[in-house]
Amino acid sequence: MKKIFMVLLAGLLVFSLALSGCAKQQVQQSAQPEQAKTPEEKVDVVKIGAIFPLTGSAASTGVKLKYAVETAEEIINGEHPELDMPLAREAGLPNLGNAKVKFIFADHQANPEVAKSEAERLIQNEKVVGLIGCYHSSATKPASQVAERFRIPFVAGSSSSAALTERGLEYFTRIAPNDDMETAFFFEYLKYLNATYDAGIKTIGVAYIDNEYGVHAAQMVDKWLKDKYQGEGFEKVVDVKYPKDLSNVDTEVQKIKAAKPDAIFHASYIGDITQFVKKYKEFDVVPKAVVNYCGGFQDPQFVVNLGKDADFFSGSNATAPSLFAKMDTLNKINEIYKKKSGVDFDGPALEDFASAMVIADAINQAGTIDSQKVMEAIKSAVFEAPYFVSGKIKFGKNGQNEYSASVMVQTQNGKYEAVWPVDYQTAEPIPTFPAWKNR
Amino acid sequence: MILQIIVSGILMGFVYSLVAVGLTLTWGVLDIINFAHGEFLMMGMYSAFWMYSLFGMDPLLSIPFAMGIVFVMGYFTYRLIIKKVINAPGLTALLATFGLSLLLRNLAQFIWSPNYRFINQSIVMDKKIVLGSITLGVPQMVAAISSIVMTMAVFYFVEKTKTGRAIQATALDKNTAKLMGIHTEKIYALTFGISGACVGIAGALTATFFPIHPESGALYSLLAFVIVALGGFGNIKGALYSAIIIGITEALGGFLFGTQFKYALVFLIYLIVIQIKPKGLFGW
Repeated sequence: MKKIFMVLLAGLLVFSLALSGCAKQQVQQSAQPEQAKTPEEKVDVVKIGAIFPLTGSAASTGVKLKYAVETAEEIINGEHPELDMPLAREAGLPNLGNAKVKFIFADHQANPEVAKSEAERLIQNEKVVGLIGCYHSSATKPASQVAERFRIPFVAGSSSSAALTERGLEYFTRIAPNDDMETAFFFEYLKYLNATYDAGIKTIGVAYIDNEYGVHAAQMVDKWLKDKYQGEGFEKVVDVKYPKDLSNVDTEVQKIKAAKPDAIFHASYIGDITQFVKKYKEFDVVPKAVVNYCGGFQDPQFVVNLGKDADFFSGSNATAPSLFAKMDTLNKINEIYKKKSGVDFDGPALEDFASAMVIADAINQAGTIDSQKVMEAIKSAVFEAPYFVSGKIKFGKNGQNEYSASVMVQTQNGKYEAVWPVDYQTAEPIPTFPAWKNR
Repeated sequence: MILQIIVSGILMGFVYSLVAVGLTLTWGVLDIINFAHGEFLMMGMYSAFWMYSLFGMDPLLSIPFAMGIVFVMGYFTYRLIIKKVINAPGLTALLATFGLSLLLRNLAQFIWSPNYRFINQSIVMDKKIVLGSITLGVPQMVAAISSIVMTMAVFYFVEKTKTGRAIQATALDKNTAKLMGIHTEKIYALTFGISGACVGIAGALTATFFPIHPESGALYSLLAFVIVALGGFGNIKGALYSAIIIGITEALGGFLFGTQFKYALVFLIYLIVIQIKPKGLFGW
């Protein structure tokens, strides 16, 4: 049996190598796919593919994103006159004879290869006219390359790696602020804390997962330090890259503790960031600030899991429950979402909700499912988005949403409070962490 | 700093050994690879979580419950699945456990959702012992002590009791054991059950400091496979020693060479060792 097991392992290795070779060959063979068809006939149902991590290590987030897209589907296909936003009042897509929208979900299991093959399946077998997803930037990257190859619009919701919009793809757009924008946002927030509260934040540590999302975020920190913020007194003192599958973070936290950064930039998912916080407490790591890229911190489970230990962490977020009272439409959408998910909207869920609304709105504005015309609508229109603090979405030439939809939120007494920019403030920021023993 | 890293590595090693001891019984002694071992760990963690969540029971007090649940799971895994395919040609038994692992993982996600859960209250929660510059987390300390006790108990059981000797005899030669009057089918089922009980204890103990979710057993079971192979198939003490080696390698290697390489270093050590000693460091 042991010998057989060893042989099986070797066989699996050879098989996976052969498979990756085959995959490359397939890409080369299908480099010239047929142009997407322009159907003239009446459309009853418009199919859109939605690829998320529905199983695997990020499934807890992926399931919430699925609920967000189902919320969009319900709003589009039903009649919701109480919502002051496009596609809500009438059932279906008015410019396509009130055709219904159907989102076809696929699971990428946090695996880029699976994301790629699911994108191909959705386009070739399910005949979807557009794609949204995939949360993980590492999965969005190959899936959107497939969409580009087939000339199918891809609207990414919450994937934040700036590299995604630096590839010159014609059929790719993204709603969330990218990590380039987020990094500058973080430094400006730290400057605000220093200027307003004399926080004395100078040294930076970066802790990030070893994938597209984490690595690119870390690169953006280096870029912004070199280009601007080093000259303003900021300095990076530690860089901790950790593996995707993680059994413990003892060593990672020890490295951070040794470097004593004033602020830690985290690019982590929910499981990782929760383990980090536990270890920060155990090893008594007390930075002045911890700011989180769009990821695990924004998941409300962060607060549920950590209780009072979750307080005083910060991060960019497309929304916060504390903003619902100020934004009527968002509040009403959240009620629909909450019935499905049992929790309030978080930032990534709202961004993926927006991606579903935008692609449906673009199809409606184009009045056709012809992918080229839909893409033209995506690139040229200004989409109403009353659920975002920015109120609208407009994609630039590179496909990036030009209106940053984020605010800085901080966990205070178990709630996400919008703390910056001051215009959207629901609570003042608490500029430095109290010692763990004083909580 | 280095001392703290080494101590953390040793503590993690003990935690890994908790998971590996059960595996060494089924894989090492009975020569059956249980790919669902990680999922048994996950079930142990969920058992502790639900006892905490529904009845407010401390995970340490729920150890007997988790142990019992996973013992029954292990026992019936053999009776209902493995027994039917154990004599089938090729890798049927192995693939059956692989299928079981997927089933359990997906069932957990379906029934309990994929959310990451933590147990926030326990008599050991958030407690630590500070010795100069070294910090020792009490939950990990408890897991380490339990690991030693459990390893010794399993070792004693296999080496010193009549049933344990029957397990050894069945492992050495099933047919001869049968001729000697040993009910080998019962022994197989019991061994699977004991393996489950071990990993059930591991689940309840690790639930005090690890996130609980449907995938939580996957990485630990992979490391447990390496630990069992490194320690020598069927060598219970070897599993404990090699788990400590793996824990220190992971911690110290990650600190010195970069945390992104910590698991790569573990597998590198494993590859080097099996080149020199194919039966593991403590194998015979």
